[in-house]
Amino acid sequence: MGQDTVKKRLPVLPGIIHEATSPDDQSYLIGSKCTACGRTFFPKQSVCRVCMRNDTMEETVLSTRGKIDTFTVVHVAPKGFKAPYIQAFVDLPEGPRIFSLITGCEPSENALKTGTEVELVIDKITEDEKGNDLIGYKFRPVGK
Amino acid sequence: MKDGENMREVVVLGVGMHPFGRFLDKSLSDLARVAVWDALKDASVPAKDIQVAYLGNSIGGLITGQEGIRAQTILGPCGFGGITMVNVENACASASTAFRGVWLEIASGLCDVGLAVGVEKMFLEDRARTISALISVSQIELSKLGMQFVGEAAMRCKRYMRRWGGTKEDLALVAVKNSYNGSLNPYAYHRKAYTLEEILNSPLIAEPLHLYMTSTIADGAAAAVLCGKDTARKYMSEPTITVAACALKSGRYRESDPLDGDVPSTITLTANEAYRQAGMEPKDIDVAEVHDAMSPIELVSCEDLGFCKKGEGLRFLKEGRTKITGDMPINTSGGLCSRGHPVGATGIAQVAEIVWQLRGEAGPRQVANAKVGMCEDSGGVLVDGDNAAFTNIILKR
Repeated sequence: MGQDTVKKRLPVLPGIIHEATSPDDQSYLIGSKCTACGRTFFPKQSVCRVCMRNDTMEETVLSTRGKIDTFTVVHVAPKGFKAPYIQAFVDLPEGPRIFSLITGCEPSENALKTGTEVELVIDKITEDEKGNDLIGYKFRPVGK
Repeated sequence: MKDGENMREVVVLGVGMHPFGRFLDKSLSDLARVAVWDALKDASVPAKDIQVAYLGNSIGGLITGQEGIRAQTILGPCGFGGITMVNVENACASASTAFRGVWLEIASGLCDVGLAVGVEKMFLEDRARTISALISVSQIELSKLGMQFVGEAAMRCKRYMRRWGGTKEDLALVAVKNSYNGSLNPYAYHRKAYTLEEILNSPLIAEPLHLYMTSTIADGAAAAVLCGKDTARKYMSEPTITVAACALKSGRYRESDPLDGDVPSTITLTANEAYRQAGMEPKDIDVAEVHDAMSPIELVSCEDLGFCKKGEGLRFLKEGRTKITGDMPINTSGGLCSRGHPVGATGIAQVAEIVWQLRGEAGPRQVANAKVGMCEDSGGVLVDGDNAAFTNIILKR
């Protein structure tokens, strides 16, 4: 049995999450904050596109809680995904409005509303063509 | 510099289309040839007079494997070579961006006669390949995280309803109007007028969007022959259609969503640029083709283009103002949902519809006495939530 057949856990995108490495550690999304204008960006950026400077960006830990801006239940899934599922935009307290899949609740229009508090989950997003798990982030309603 | 002060006036001498639909046995070149030769015939321009051609195509590289030099490989077999030829990709605005390139070539005085082409082939035996290619039209990070593009528009519809009210039934009324228009268009893929009930009973794709409220993949092509106004009389005694404006803008990073606040959308910024070039206002537009990749987005576009006030798109529609018989007819062709949306061909199909309307050749879709028409496109989705490419073309007679 070759190494190729061992299922790996790979990041769905590089450098977007820190996954907890010990019981005392916490997982979070990695953003960047511009020390000149104070804006926060996700995914992290090496330069501030507003200030157009490359010496002001610092990596920052984003809140693990946010609020639903809007969402929809998708009934026809792209390849590698299984319908129905919920996709949403989540507002983070630091400013960014980020795209995310939602887990931990029924894929129903009644499961969420604008303002519903959601928390970060590190989860498998899909698989690559070799069957490896692609790991990224999702959000789930708080207290579910 | 004042816009266009040193630029030459450019006219659209002719347009042509390959009907939009499902043509499994036709190549990109087969589709383009029909549109191009029809446009030349319509323009009374011999092929040998074409000095420049811009070809818009979005996903042909992923569909056929021909990633580079698509213009040359598609237009070569149609009889064109040894001329200026440019490849254009700009998502759903590819064709209108190609149109703008030819307009600039002629307006600058560099060329006299040119050809703008938009072509796309989306139907393959392998449907998954088409879907994968389409996904690449949005910023790839979004697709990797699981974004489904109808769902993205669905969320924009929900934001609109949250701010301005309206129900799913209301939003579906756009498709009632446009499917009726499309039923009258011989170039449209879906030539059936749907009732509200049929639309709401079609499969749900992503709340609040049902299948008949979404644009469908299609094969097709559209072409336009452009010429300097000062040399147009060589080809016809009465060159009628002038390009009054042609604006192109990229999407941008925004602090907040225009559907939540009073930030102008990039559709508005692009339209304002076009109005400025043309020396016109929204009230000067008599008929418009707008980019309704998901039909309710037409309501937002009507507002963003200034045809009605913010939040009044629905009332504007319900009063019948945007019907063929209304005072601001929108998407007389049927729009993207009925005509079909071969991504890189759509922009020039809009130009063709407006040219026919302004020349009084739109048959049963003809609006009364149209003198000025607009074509608006927006395509691609960026991580920041804005679309990627926006065009606005104003034509007048």
